[in-house]
Order: sequence, then structure tokens, then C-alpha cells
Amino acid sequence: MTPAGALVFFGLWEAIVDLLKVPSYMVPSPSSIFVQLARKLPYLLRNLWVTGYESYGGFLLAAVIGVPLSLLIAFSPFMRKTFYPGVVALQLVPKIALAPLFITWFGFGMVPKILITFLVCFFPILLNCLLGFASLSKEVTYFARTTTAGGLRTFFLIRLPAALPQIFVGFRWAAVNATVGATVGEWVGGDAGLGYYLQIQTGELHMDIAFATIFVLALLGLSQYYLVRFLERRFIPWHVSQRSNGAAKAF
Amino acid sequence: MLKTLVRSIRTALLPVGALLLFLVLWEVLVRTLKVPRYILPAFSSVLQSLGTNLPALLKHTLVTAEETLCGFAISVLLGIPLAVVVAFSKFMRKTVYPAAVTLEMVPKIAFAPIFVVWLGFQFASKMVVVFLVCFFPILINAVFGFLSLEENLQRFSQSTGASPLRVFWKIRFPAALPEIFVGLKGAAINATVGATIAEWVGGNAGLGYAITSATGMFQTDLALASILVLTAVGLAMYGLVVILEARVLHWHISQRQGEI
Amino acid sequence: MPDSIRIDNVKKVFEGRKDAVHAVGPMSLEIAKGEFVSLLGPSGCGKSTILMMVAGLIEATEGRVFIDGNQVTGPQTNIGIVFQSPVLMDWRDVLGNVLLQVEMRKLDREAYEAKATELLTSVGLKDFLHKRPYELSGGMQQRTAFCRALLHDPPLVLMDEPLGALDAMTREQLRRDLERMWLETGKTFVFVTHDIEEAIQLSDRIVLITPRPGKIDRIIKIDLPRPRDLSVVTSPEFARYVSSIKEVFMGYGVM
Repeated sequence: MTPAGALVFFGLWEAIVDLLKVPSYMVPSPSSIFVQLARKLPYLLRNLWVTGYESYGGFLLAAVIGVPLSLLIAFSPFMRKTFYPGVVALQLVPKIALAPLFITWFGFGMVPKILITFLVCFFPILLNCLLGFASLSKEVTYFARTTTAGGLRTFFLIRLPAALPQIFVGFRWAAVNATVGATVGEWVGGDAGLGYYLQIQTGELHMDIAFATIFVLALLGLSQYYLVRFLERRFIPWHVSQRSNGAAKAF
Repeated sequence: MLKTLVRSIRTALLPVGALLLFLVLWEVLVRTLKVPRYILPAFSSVLQSLGTNLPALLKHTLVTAEETLCGFAISVLLGIPLAVVVAFSKFMRKTVYPAAVTLEMVPKIAFAPIFVVWLGFQFASKMVVVFLVCFFPILINAVFGFLSLEENLQRFSQSTGASPLRVFWKIRFPAALPEIFVGLKGAAINATVGATIAEWVGGNAGLGYAITSATGMFQTDLALASILVLTAVGLAMYGLVVILEARVLHWHISQRQGEI
Repeated sequence: MPDSIRIDNVKKVFEGRKDAVHAVGPMSLEIAKGEFVSLLGPSGCGKSTILMMVAGLIEATEGRVFIDGNQVTGPQTNIGIVFQSPVLMDWRDVLGNVLLQVEMRKLDREAYEAKATELLTSVGLKDFLHKRPYELSGGMQQRTAFCRALLHDPPLVLMDEPLGALDAMTREQLRRDLERMWLETGKTFVFVTHDIEEAIQLSDRIVLITPRPGKIDRIIKIDLPRPRDLSVVTSPEFARYVSSIKEVFMGYGVM
């Protein structure tokens, strides 16, 4: 979004709230949000640390478990036949619905939030890794078999680089949704974090602080997404997604 | 005919076997280890709870289904026409589209508490949250679909001398349908989740509410039963879109090869 | 002169979901060391299958294949292989793609760099060593694939319709490049194609394959001088080979 466009948007917002004398407990003006952002900064940062920890923690856990597990499933016909249909089916189960159960099982601390985030991130990562490792053309496998290279060598020189773009698609999706997992976890049962803070502020009708909190949450989500984009630029600079300036897709 | 049936049974054998094994293990472990019911109930007691509470669960299902369907429908009714406008207006493409793409990455669900304050504990706030969750993927994918018309197809349309509107109706729109359905399917999966979370934030009915009220009273079996029902609702939504897709896109390669 | 390749009564049947497809044979063929032999036939006749059986990438249902007296029982590794699609790796530059051949074989990359550069230069890609595959045209990508197939100095090179995806002018150019590479290296080249002129221009002998199930109709020895430049290709002798082969295929109703 162009800076000019943003300015116009916020300018209009400010003007409308001012002119219509909208009460601040309904819709706050951008200026009041900004003021609260500055005033409540220590609280926001403290809660950001909590939610960030949960969000990044769950995401990393999902990556660390998901990628090796995908290797196990992709390269063992037995594992693939047994577990792949299950993984696909579980995609349709709304994992976040389990959040209240996690609170029951693990209490109010950070652990259940990390686990909820893990669940949310795990399946997209696993599925995209599987997709990446499965889609190698017949000719490439033929070529590999004529070169005396064993499984390990073929994996590191060909299979892994070829799968990386799809693996990163999974990471992108997980990065965007990790914050959702952590936030919802805090809503269901928490005593710290941006989600919890947001709930309290809206409960007290401090909409300006609430919006400021959402802003910080958004930044957290964006930070994870851009971290993945940064890693992409480092690890798959050669891929078409990094080269061309194509239009964006949501799925 | 018989051969394909035998083969389907064969491929289903391992995963179904694994599932059954999992359920049996669950049942056995819970009983032998005497796991307290409020931590992990046996699968049999989940089914039992499902049966006992069926009428209440069905009532909740209707509530959540209504929120989901309405939110989804509105996001389609607003999203696709807006996508058309964005695809055709350079101005919109430079302003609305990048904004939508950026907003897609923001956790929109964070607005749920705000909407509860603005719209109350009733139906409206949940519907709006579902709308938010569905709207952006539908918009973004539809725009992408409209914009990515193959170059030669564009040249052909221009050579017919038809007006842009006609070209849109006869060529661009049908060509974009597969991509639109990708967005619809993605939104359908997330719609029920949106409704559930909105009910957690501020609701007094619906399957999400049912789950938290059950966990609040340590009725874990009822909670799991509600989650089962919720999964079914989500599946039904997704299934509806898939069925619609099969009819609308019967000509498309994804429907011909029988692979999703 | 010992035979480089001996195909002994080979037959291939593909077991499908509903039925079995008798793709190839029975057929027998001997190819001498250093020969340029083409397998020529219509689409779907099984010529690629024959090539893959020589490579050991597809197992014969009946019969045996021998390379240098050793029976083929699995993927052969002392060969170079080129497909219709270049199958290059986008994450490596042109030089890196050629060197992948030796890296896969655990050989010292540095030791082969000079040879790889030399091969690429000989096909006109000297200025493209550090470009990526997606920055090259189809013809240039295929030339890179040829270099990759030759880097480890295999005595046998198998090519499955390598020029099939290219435009006519690029094909002409690459045919000349291929012939030159063969003349310079003296390797055994086995070449699969459906293009009659191409087979005549390149081969010592052409094996005509019948439509499915692919069997050998006849083997035609091409007695034309080398290198087969424009004067040879436009000569009446060349045209005579073309018409006699076309007659064979018209008899099968594939032309």
C-alpha cells in the first residue's frame, strides 16, 4: 500500500470520527490510538514478549517436528500408505477447536498456547513438505539413478533443493496463522499476552488501547511472515516466486 | 467394477486400520490407566455424550451453521463483484489490492473482541468475523484469477472486436472460475473456525460456546463430542463447495482426472 | 570388434490396472562400439522403452540386455543420458548443472571444472557459464544437458528424442553439434527419434521400429560421407533414403 494511500485512509478516518463526534468507546480516532500506543508501550511490549514467545515457539516446534516427519512419510511407502490419508483428513478438523481442551490439560501458562500454535502450524507445514518431496519429475529421478549417487546424495543435491519452494509455501501459511493460534489460546484461557490484554481493554471499552494492541499483534504476525520471506530470499533466490513480480495469491 | 472396488478396499485398509488401532488403543489405555474422565475420556464415553446431548448439540449446530453460512455468503456476494472492479480498474488495483494482500497477513481474528463490543453477543458479531475471515482469500484469489488470463487468449478476445464486458462474461469469468473456487474452498475451511472463535470471545450459543461451556464444567467428553460435530459441520461446508465446484467446473482438468 | 550393446530377444509388457500392454518385442539388436545408431519409429511404438531397458531404468519382461558383455540388471551408471526435457536444476548455474554429474558421483568438482568449461565452450555457451537455466533458450538448455551427459566420459550416450521440443532452426544447429561431438569423442551414441531426416543425417545405422508392439522392421545402413553438411543433406542419395523409409512407414499407415 502506498504511503499516500495510507495517509488518505487515516486522514479520512480521523476526519470522520472528529466530525461525527463518534465517542471514543465506539470508534477511536487514529490519533488517540497512536497516543495510547506510546503511553501503554511498556505494557504492550511486555505482552508482546509473551505472545511472541508463544507464536514463534509454536511455529518453530511445528517446523522442527514437521519437516523430518515429512521425510519419514515421503520416503517410506509403508508410512505413506498408512498415514498420508490420515494427515489429509485431519486437515479438515479445525485444530483450533481443541484450544479449550489444551487449557484444561495444561493450565493457563504459555505451554498450552505454544501447543495450540504448534497444532495450527504443523499440518500446513507437513502437507506442503510432503507435496514438495513428492513432485519430482520422472526424468530427474532417471538422471539421478544413472549417476551412481546413493539416496543420501540424491537427496541433498537434488530432492531437497527441488522441494524447498513448496516447503516455504507451508512456512508462509504457518507464519501468518501462528499469531492467531497464540491469540486465541490467550482468549480461551490466559493471564498474559496481547490477546489477553486485548480482551481486557475491550471489556473496559478502552477501544483506543484495544486498537493499539491489535496494531502490535498485526506487527507480530507480519514479522513472522517477513522472516519467512527473508529466509526464502536467502535459500531459494533462484525460484520463480522470488524472481517475477507476479500477482499475489491467498492459497 | 469389482477390481476397482477391491483395490479401493485395499488402499483404505492401512489408514483405516491405523485409525481403528488408534481408537482401540485410546479406549484401552484410558481404561487400564484409569485416566480421570475430565482429562481424557474414553472414546466410547465421547460417543455416549454425543448421543445423550444430541438435541442440544443440534441446536448449537444450527446457530454456528447460520453464522458460518451467512458470513460466507456475504463475503462471496461482496468479494467477487469487488474483485471484478479491482481487476478492471488500474486505480483499484494499485490501492485496494495491495491493501487486501497486506491485510490477509494480519490476524483478522484479532478484531473479534471489537466486533463483540460493537455488535453485541448475538448473531451479528459472529457473522462479521466469519465475513472477515472469508472475504480476503476470496477477493485475492478472484482478482488473481481475473488477472491471469493467458496472453494468447487475451489476443484472441481482442481480435473478435467484442466489448470488454462481453469478453469478461464469455471468457475472463469462466477462465477465472477454477482459481475462484480455490479461494472459496480455502475460505470454507476457515469459516467454521471463525465462527467458533467469535463465539468464544463473546457468545451464548453455538458449537464454540458449547465447547467452552463443556470444558468450563470439566465435561471433557461433551467437549470432544462438540468438536466432533464441529468437524462435521466444517466438512459439510467444504463438501458443499466441492459439490458446487464439480457441477460448475465439470469441464476443468481437476474434475476430469479425479484428483483434488 | 566386441559388441557394445547386445539386446537379446527382449520383450516388454506393461501390467496396467485393467489390462496388459504389450509394448515392445520380441526384438534383438547388436550395436557396435563407436556406432551412431538411431531408433526410428512413430509415436508410441516403444522406442523410448527400448532405450530405457538398455539404460537399465526399465526392466525387460523377457530377454536380456548386455553392455560390454555384462548383463543389465539395474540402472546403468557408466552412461550419459539426455531426455527430451533438459531437466536442469534452477538453483545451479549452467556450469554447476554440468558439474552436478560428477558431484553426484562423489568426484572432485574442481578437477572437472576445466573440462566442463571446455565442453560448454565447444557448444557456444562460454558466455553463459554463470547464467541460470531459466535465463537460457530451450536449445541452450539442451546443449547444457549434452555437456552434462559427456562430462564423466562415459563410453555410451543414450538420447531420448533430445531435439523433439526445439524449433526447426535450433534442431538443425544442434544436429550439427551432436555429430561433431560424436566425431570428436568416438563414443557409442544411441539416439531415439521420430524424425526421419534427423535419423538419416546423424546415424551410421537406423533401426526402424514398427508401431506397437515395437519390433524391428529392418535396419538400414546409411552410406553417406561425414560430416553430413548441407551438401550431403540436400543430395539425391539423402532424398532416396528419405523416400524409402517413408514408404516403410506409409505401409504401416502411420504416415
